[in-house]
Amino acid sequence: MIKKRFNPITDRSSEIIAFLMASPDMPKDDDLRFKIELSIEEAVENVVQYAYEGGIGWLEAGTSLDDQSLILTIELRDAGVPFNPLEMEDPDITLRADERPVGGLGIYLCKSMMDRISYRYEDGNNILIMEKQITN
Amino acid sequence: MIVTINKQDEKTFVVLDGRVDSSNADQFQKDVAPLMEGDNTDIDIDCTNMTYTSSQGLRVFLLLQKSVSSRNGKMVMRNMDPRVKEVFDITGFSNIITIV
Repeated sequence: MIKKRFNPITDRSSEIIAFLMASPDMPKDDDLRFKIELSIEEAVENVVQYAYEGGIGWLEAGTSLDDQSLILTIELRDAGVPFNPLEMEDPDITLRADERPVGGLGIYLCKSMMDRISYRYEDGNNILIMEKQITN
Repeated sequence: MIVTINKQDEKTFVVLDGRVDSSNADQFQKDVAPLMEGDNTDIDIDCTNMTYTSSQGLRVFLLLQKSVSSRNGKMVMRNMDPRVKEVFDITGFSNIITIV
């Protein structure tokens, strides 16, 4: 796994996203990159905004690629407040504009764009793993 | 994201150029704030060169649509990049914002 620990993380979403997107594990295809970047942004922003009180803390971000299956794995790890984003309720996308709440779409977009997302809390760390089948 | 606003008679033409993400969404919201008030109730947004939006950008588009609707106006987004359009589709925004 190619990984890097960012500490502190306040206001560093762009840098963390750029690190992951520059990984040699990433596909070249623009459509896939768009979906992956969007998922990464939503997941990273979630940690940067909410994991630590006052934003003081670290985030470890990494990628790996299975040569056989071409499944890309993106892993985010932090030591912030235990939070399972997969337990968040999906938004009701059938509401009218005036009924729609503002926000709450980030994790839903992640779930829609990636093939598989898993979460676990281990040794005081939140670990989010996102997988995407790629082609190269 | 570069936001160009051009008022012609009753209609407001907006051209979006670039991307809106967590790094610039606050500025984007400030840039489109003039559209959320006054007689800007007929808004035409050219999205040809909008290459990316995350949920942070969607948030602003929803605020804008809510504002326009509350003033009995209309808003159209046109020429959306298929990848961006998919983000609007997945989140149901295609049902609440007119996209042509």
